[in-house]
Amino acid sequence: MRIINALLALISLIILVSFWQDNFSLYVDLALLDLHGVVIGIQTSALANLFALLIGFSWLMVSLASFASKQSSHPALFRWLPILSFALFLMVYTVDYLLFFIGWEIMSIVTYFILAPTLTPQALIKYVLFAMASALALLMGIVILYSGAETLLYMDANQGFMLLSLEMKIVVTLLMLFAFFIKLGAIGLHYWVVDSYQQADTLFSAYLSAILSKMGLYGVIIFLTQAVDIYSFDATLLTYSIALIGVISSIIATFKAIREDDLKRLLAYSSIAQLGYIVTVLALANGMGGALYHAIIHTLIKLLLFINIASIIALTKRSKVSELGGLIYRTPHSFVMLLIAIIALAGMPPLGGFASKYLIYTSLLDAKMLLILSAVMFASVSGFLYIYKLIYGIYLGHPTHKSLESLQEVSKWYLLPQYIIALLLIIIGTFPALIIPMINSVLRQLYLTSIPYETITTLESPLGAYNGSVIMGAFGAIFVVVLFFLWRVKSKTKEAKDRFDIAYCGEEPTTTTPLHYGYGMTKELQRVSFIATIWHSSSGTFYNALTEILYAFSNRIRKLYTGNLAINFNWIILFAVLLLWWGTQ
Amino acid sequence: MVGDTMILFELLLILLTAYSVGFIYYGLYRNITARFQRRFGPPITQSFYDSIKFFSKEESTSHGWMFYLGPIIAMSGAIMTLFFIPIFSNSTAFQGLSEYGNLFVVLYLMVLGPLGNALGVGVSGNPFGVMGVTRGLSRLFALELPFYIALIALMSINQTADIATIASNQQETINAIAYPLLFIPALFAFIGMMGQSPFDVVGAPVEVYSGPASEFSGKFLALLMSQSAIFSFAKLVLMVHLFLGGASGFIELLLKTFILFLFVIAFGSLYGRFKTPQSIDFLLKVPTAIAIVGLILATYN
Repeated sequence: MRIINALLALISLIILVSFWQDNFSLYVDLALLDLHGVVIGIQTSALANLFALLIGFSWLMVSLASFASKQSSHPALFRWLPILSFALFLMVYTVDYLLFFIGWEIMSIVTYFILAPTLTPQALIKYVLFAMASALALLMGIVILYSGAETLLYMDANQGFMLLSLEMKIVVTLLMLFAFFIKLGAIGLHYWVVDSYQQADTLFSAYLSAILSKMGLYGVIIFLTQAVDIYSFDATLLTYSIALIGVISSIIATFKAIREDDLKRLLAYSSIAQLGYIVTVLALANGMGGALYHAIIHTLIKLLLFINIASIIALTKRSKVSELGGLIYRTPHSFVMLLIAIIALAGMPPLGGFASKYLIYTSLLDAKMLLILSAVMFASVSGFLYIYKLIYGIYLGHPTHKSLESLQEVSKWYLLPQYIIALLLIIIGTFPALIIPMINSVLRQLYLTSIPYETITTLESPLGAYNGSVIMGAFGAIFVVVLFFLWRVKSKTKEAKDRFDIAYCGEEPTTTTPLHYGYGMTKELQRVSFIATIWHSSSGTFYNALTEILYAFSNRIRKLYTGNLAINFNWIILFAVLLLWWGTQ
Repeated sequence: MVGDTMILFELLLILLTAYSVGFIYYGLYRNITARFQRRFGPPITQSFYDSIKFFSKEESTSHGWMFYLGPIIAMSGAIMTLFFIPIFSNSTAFQGLSEYGNLFVVLYLMVLGPLGNALGVGVSGNPFGVMGVTRGLSRLFALELPFYIALIALMSINQTADIATIASNQQETINAIAYPLLFIPALFAFIGMMGQSPFDVVGAPVEVYSGPASEFSGKFLALLMSQSAIFSFAKLVLMVHLFLGGASGFIELLLKTFILFLFVIAFGSLYGRFKTPQSIDFLLKVPTAIAIVGLILATYN
């Protein structure tokens, strides 16, 4: 099953790349089914190709990693993954809301089938409720949109949207954004995300974070650009609201991630935070380039991180910062891969993560959204704490258990996809404008201003450019020179006797001394009121209150609708009388 | 080819300048703080000799290859920061590599060094060291918020992220006088970045047995000392360019950086130390509020 899955992924990716330039379109009029005027179809476009490439790539990487264990830990996953991926392909290549909705539904249902065996009932019910809410909102939005110009095609959606009254415009915008933000995990609507990511098979978490969340993004892009046509009029309020949702998501999720002890929960919050950056600039005309760039980079980083974590969890059977530690010299390759991932996640210059953040920052600066820019940069720099916690907790410090001291490097199948992704991150870091032509073709398709482009080494922006190759080259050169200097300097080094050979207040620690700092890490931030407020508040409070209200409401209903047949019969008669009365009016 | 050799020569000269000025300033810091405390303090050149001595220590304990790479990444980060900041404004000489980067690049390069250091500390397995690192990273985001707001306002006013342009746009009035409400919060953050009281709990010099440098000895410690000297100089130059009108000659640069430096250490000598949560709380309230007001006044008119 895993081999078929991997082959399908490979074939899809090969087809995608080889027919990259070709145009294909197929439109079907549903008049045959007595649905006059309803046209559905699929068509290739730059935007669709870009997202399809991300889908194909994520699918292949996850499939490669799946060969690591002799027996698949989760057979259902690889049975359903091809169907899920094809549903995603359908969603990105379609040009109408009917097929999009069908793809959305297949995605939600198949995701349920994959999640069901591993999730606790509570987490599963969260997923189901939110997926249903999302689908219902999407359906209602589509129906209202259809009522405008009686067409489902994206290209006529704006026409339909314009025919709606102002109230209906607002309603349809809210419904659609609600539906997509649930998939994206915008803060408040992220209630299902963290539990699902934590309890899903780690490789599926990679798929969820890398690409499934991007489908929400794709939906928002399609809706805002094709239906609302947000850049054609002065939509300051909408732009600012979306930017605020994005930036609040990233700040809150970043601080929530800092507290987490569980690796997968930490990465889930990190995913919400990173998508927050994308959402922040999504509604800006000059921000789409940065948003798409960061979507690509985030897909790469999250695949790398989750595959790395998957290998560690498979190796150690532990998934908490406080239970791991000291793996660096046991699994050096995995360590280097995670190091590359976190440098990119932090957005540090030599690697690809900086390029996308740079575009996001300059577009916000150019749009004069200065306070939002400050908040985004604040979230980004706060992220260093959880990023350090991640790498320290697993690889640095001391092993927290004897079993961690006698481990071997993880399987090559886990490392292979990680090497590929790390190489891509390094290449994008060195040549930050390498993927700009691809992004520019999307921007042209959406009638937006292209990002200036001259050479692949220099990433241009309205407020200045930077040369990725010079940064990478200079860093490499300085690194080598300092290394050489430190090596040649006269003094000798002595390897520490064992891991207890440290400066420890003049005492000698033993095996029982708690030396790993992973458990209490960042706990002292509790005393900062701002952070404590974020830590102690949860969207769960809101949903619990909502549940209470619904229960109370149901209790009232139950007084009328008691289940007693005689009373129910009276209600039916009353209803029939009302209907008769209404009919005579 | 001649141009390339010239650039390499220039970079080397910048590095040597930063190294020596950094160490002289560090010596002055020890001296001036001593005077504040009614001591005489060591000679100015003492720190320089210390670093030479550490480099030639016969033995230093290592904890594997990552322990080597940590200080090296820290050093590379500091040197990169230095090279991407132009030394003089209004001049084509000594621009380093600044034409290939801008303020955003410098801001992120500035945190690359501490991250490398943090990795080295982490692998050493010394819990006190990691305690210092988490304190440092916690303090970092609180420091950076007012600093970023001030810098974003400057970038928006000048419509560029280029440091040299921001520096040379201050011909009439320097930014520190034109925008005091941006300068003050940036200065608070800068005091923290220079590791001075009240925000110096990370290194906790002298008293507390913790801090990122706990486990480093011999040549590793020497490398970290040199790193901090070079990095301090780079940060001073950046601050001078952004708020004090830049410098077109070496004397002017030394004068302006020294005034700033003197202010920072005088401030540091006068105040006690905040605990980590206290300093975060303070930085997220007072300087941030001032910076937001400053940003609104400076840009929305």
